[in-house]
Parts: sequence; C-alpha cells; structure tokens
Amino acid sequence: MPNLEKSTPVAKPDMVPLTASKAIIARGVKMTFQSGAESFQALKGIDLEVLSGDIELLMGPSGSGKTTLLSILSGILTPTSGSVELLGEKITGLSRTKLAKFRLNNIGFIFQDFNLFPALSAIENIETVLNLKGIRRGEAKRQAQQLLEQVGLGDKAKSLPRQLSGGQKQRVAIARALAGNPKLIMADEPTASLDSQGGHAVIELLRKLAKEEGCTVLMVTHDPRILDVADQVLYLEDGLISPYVPARVPSVP
Amino acid sequence: MVSLARKNLFQDLPRFVVAQAGIMFAVSLVTIQTGLFSGFSRSTSLLVDNSKADIWVASEDLRFLDLTVPIPLQRRNQAQQVQGVDRAEALILRGTVWRRSSTPLTSVRVVGFDPEGQLFQPKKLDQGTLSQLKQPYTVMVDRSDLDSLNVNRVGQVAKVGSFQARIVGLSKEMRSIVSPAFMFTSLENAYAYINSPIAEPPRNPPAPKPLTSTDQVSYILIRAEPGQDLQALKRRIEAALPDTRAYTRGEFADLNQRYWQKSTGVGFILGLGAAVGMIVGLVIVGQILYASVSDHLKEFGTLKAMGSPNWFIYSVIIRQALWMAVLGYIPGMALCIALGTWTLQTQAIEILISPMLATGVFGLTIVMCIGAAVFAIQKVTYVDPAIVFKA
Ligand SMILES: Nc1ncnc2c1ncn2[C@@H]1O[C@H](COP(=O)(O)OP(=O)(O)O)[C@@H](O)[C@H]1O
Ligand SMILES: [Mg+2]
Repeated sequence: MPNLEKSTPVAKPDMVPLTASKAIIARGVKMTFQSGAESFQALKGIDLEVLSGDIELLMGPSGSGKTTLLSILSGILTPTSGSVELLGEKITGLSRTKLAKFRLNNIGFIFQDFNLFPALSAIENIETVLNLKGIRRGEAKRQAQQLLEQVGLGDKAKSLPRQLSGGQKQRVAIARALAGNPKLIMADEPTASLDSQGGHAVIELLRKLAKEEGCTVLMVTHDPRILDVADQVLYLEDGLISPYVPARVPSVP
Repeated sequence: MVSLARKNLFQDLPRFVVAQAGIMFAVSLVTIQTGLFSGFSRSTSLLVDNSKADIWVASEDLRFLDLTVPIPLQRRNQAQQVQGVDRAEALILRGTVWRRSSTPLTSVRVVGFDPEGQLFQPKKLDQGTLSQLKQPYTVMVDRSDLDSLNVNRVGQVAKVGSFQARIVGLSKEMRSIVSPAFMFTSLENAYAYINSPIAEPPRNPPAPKPLTSTDQVSYILIRAEPGQDLQALKRRIEAALPDTRAYTRGEFADLNQRYWQKSTGVGFILGLGAAVGMIVGLVIVGQILYASVSDHLKEFGTLKAMGSPNWFIYSVIIRQALWMAVLGYIPGMALCIALGTWTLQTQAIEILISPMLATGVFGLTIVMCIGAAVFAIQKVTYVDPAIVFKA
C-alpha cells in the first residue's frame, strides 16, 4: 500500500467508494506493428473502462489482439495512438524508467507459462520480487511465506519450480504477483497451461483475490469456466471490441 | 537478498565447472608467466641480492655480472681508506670447467669469497660450515646442482681446472637460471682454480698462496658506515680507486636484471603468455556469461516486465561475474603456488608469487570478469519486456 500512495498521488482507491473509481481507462487505443516495409494494425481503436475490484475478462480468437492490448494496458507496450490511465494516473507518455517504476509499484503479472525463476525455490521467487520492491531480508522472507500460505502452498516454500505441478507453479506465480500488494493484476491466459483441477484452483484463487484483496484483475483467457467469476467480459475481434455478450462466447480450448 | 546470480550460476553445474576451469587456467597462465618473469629477474641478480654489501665496485668496463675485467686486490685496501667505508671484501667470479672422472665437462662459476668475511656468503647452508672452505681445494656446491655436476654427496671429489675439488658442504637456493652451477670456495682456492691450465693434474699440488695486492679479483664489496649517503660514497670510491665504477646493491641488481631482460627478450615472451592468458580468460568468461544470460533471457524479461530497473538486472549479471572471478581465482592461485613450490624444489626455477602479484592477478581477474559481464549485459539491455507474454 505505501508504494501505491507514493507513486499515484491522485488515486486513493481505499478512500473512495469502489463502485465509483475506475482502475483502468483506455481511450482510442490503436497499435500498429511495423516490420520492415510491412505494417500491421493489431488494435484499431479500443475504448474501455474497468472498475476497481472488478474481474475483467478479455476474450476473443487467437490473433485478435488480446495480448497486445494487455501489454499496452499494463504499460509494457506503448500504443501508436490513444491514451491509457491506470489508477488515476495517465501512463501514456511516461518515460521507460517511470513506466517501469509504475509497474513495479502497482501491477502484479501472471503469465501463461508462469515465468518462475527455475533456479530459485518457491519462497525465493517471491522474495526476489519483494527485494526488488525494496523489502529486505527477514521481512521479505516473512511476507513471502505469508503469501505462499495465502495461495495454499505454505509447505512448498523450499520446493523448486520443477518439483511443483503446473497448478502449484501458477499459484506460486500468483503469490509472486501479489507481493507488495499491487492494486492491479494483469494475467495472460493464466489457466491455459493447466489441467482442469489446477485451473480450478487458480480461478478460485483469482476470485478470492479480487473480492477479498480489492484487486482489479484484467485477464486474457479462453477458459469459459472463468466466466462464472467475471464481472465484465470484453470480446475482441480483429483489433476491435465486438458487441458479443459473454454468454454467447463459444467454448474455445 | 536472494542470490539470483549465484543460483542461476550453479543451476547448470557442468557449464559452471567448465567456466571455472577456464578462469583457473587464465589465472594460472597470467600468474605463472608473471611469476616466472619475477623469478627470472630475481635469479639474474641472485648473487647481488644475496650479498650484504651496500656497494659493489667493479672495473669501469663492466657490462654485467658475468662480463667484466678483473681489478687488482689492492683496490680493496684502497677502498678501506675511503672515508665512510666500514668494510671492504674481495669477490672472485669466473667461469671454469668441472670434470668428474670420465663424465663430460661441465661449466661452473667459481665464486671465491672470504669465508670469514661478512659481506658475502651462500644464502643457506644445507651441509658443512664455511670455515671448512679455508682448507686447500675445498668447495661447496648447491644441492640442486648435484645432478648436473655428477656428484651426489659431500666428500666426493671432482677436478676443476687442473686441481681437485673436494665437496665439503652444500648450499641451498643458490642456483641461477642464467648461470652455470655456482661453486663456492675461498678467495685463495678460487684464484688457484681460475688460473690453473686445463691439464694433467700435478701429483701433489701445493696449497694455494694467499693473494697479493696485484692479484686479480672480480669485485670489491663495500659496507658503508651507518648513516652514509651511498651516492656520495660511491663518488668518493670511484675517485679513489682508478678505473672502477661503484654501484649500490640495488643499482647493480637492476643493471643485471635489465641486461638479461633485454638480451633474452624474456619480458616480451612471458608478457605475451600472460596477455594470451588474459584474452583466453576473457573469452571464456564472456562466452559462459553470455550463454547464461541467453538462457535466462526470459527471466530477465520477466523482471523487466514486472518493473525491475536495469541496474537490478545488471547487478545480477555482475554478481555472477564476481562469483566466477573469485571461484576461479582461488583454485588458480592455489595451483600456481603448488606448482611454484614444486618447480623451485625440483627444477630450481622460481615462480615468484609476491603478495603484490597475487593481489594484482586478483584485480585483473575481477576486471576480466566484469569486462565479460559488460559484454553479456548488452544482450539484456535490448530485451523487450513484451517477450514475456509470448508463449
Ligand atoms: N511485435 C509484433 N510485431 C508484429 N506483429 C505483432 C507483434 N505482436 C503481435 N503482433 C500481431 O498482432 C496480432 C495480435 O497479436 P496478439 O495480441 O498476440 O493476439 P492474441 O493475444 O489475441 O492471440 C497478431 O496478428 C500478431 O501477429
Ligand atoms: Mg495472446
């Protein structure tokens, strides 16, 4: 929480009613990839708003621009045009360094392939991120252990990623994403590499997260089971948000 | 702090071991070449450094220790008269021939000194006492030269010139890489040996006579009175002793070292070896770090996506480099010390590893590893954090 207050003086989500505050606002976001002489427009003008504490799903066929949009909304990619506001701060136009700092302080990331550090144990994976956020030694260890317990892996602290199942790895990754209490969680297909059981545990965890921790979760997914926990679903097609309603989203593997 | 650096490094153990072997090799190469150079230099001035003389006086025609013309012994008495001289002793240094019954000739360097003097004596005695050298035709040689002189113990007799030489003692650590074996003896014996024709030995040679003031010696060794300005003393000695030049011990040691360095090109050769060691080390560490960084690129990308500042990632790589430096240096230096001890004992070749050399090589190893890290860091600098979402 202190991190949040330092870097985003405008947004104090705790102090305003959750329903009124918008965690993510995107206006006219366009993205054109240039490779050599060829250019490809992956996003053709996206407008969206996500309320604080909501779970927002981004669905749509492969190649529709979901990952590109997620990258832009989390400040990893800079859009060709348009603007993005996160937690009340306009991030479009910030320098690379400031963007990195913003991400570090406010966003937790969850990836399809977990992206854990294979040489580090579960607890060390989390500690490293806490270290990065300026939390040191004993305090980092204590918080990391607590986060592992929160995702139900308190007894796996010393396990290396390769000793864990896919679902357990993703739970460690979620614990790592939660390190330092970010207000935003950005997840790209978090259940795509998991079996149904592992996927279920992860979905349940993400739901709890949003509801109990007050995190805003933006999640790219093909997983129809997640629809049950979503507050809002955006369906992306060919770089545009399509008017399909979530219930009619076909079940894609 | 979690040591991502160390754990990443140890994760691929075989590769790490190869890297460490490479660094060890580089460290050893640099140390051995430099150590050999220092050992060689020291060896060329062994007799000079070993003396307790403040000043060495030689003929003005001297080129270096082994190439000079004799001066009469009376220079010693003259030197004694110079104000500021506490003590003067003569030294004879000349090459001659050593022969053991039917074995081939061997060259030796006769070192004649006053066994009761104070300014010159062999560094360490392994067997025998210096006073035994006062007997006619007795000598000492260095333990490490026994083989090359075809002898194996005290009491054995060889022929030097046309006189016999009975070994009455052994010295230690008195072998020079640029000189034939030293043969230590008294001034009188030395004078007899170097002036004897190589011929059939006389049946009962008379004992060598004491030297007269016109007999020729090689050097006069001087001890200054306490508190003397050696440069001023040198000038007074040169003025009082015709056709001579005086050197402080340090100057004379330098002169000999420089002569040998120049005439053998040893500095260049060993320096080249050391440079090759450095380059090989740099390439190995660079290659290993680069491969390690490439392997972990996705992790570094993940760190960047999460918002890690670049310095955090650089510090991980640099710490990897430092681990490699330290863990390569320690066994490398241990190897050199072991090797140096062995060569000194068995080959009488000194690999001189001074604390300064050890520290210098450590610094160099660090620089080498950091240099390699900078190379690897290039790769991370341009990693696009967007790769993290690519499956
Ligand atoms: N860096 C890039 N350079 C060029 N084209 C890209 C790049 N990233 C994505 N694209 C293209 O943009 C489109 C959308 O990609 P992406 O956002 O990954 O889709 P999704 O996540 O919905 O499958 C794809 O056609 C893809 O080929
Ligand atoms: Mg995608």
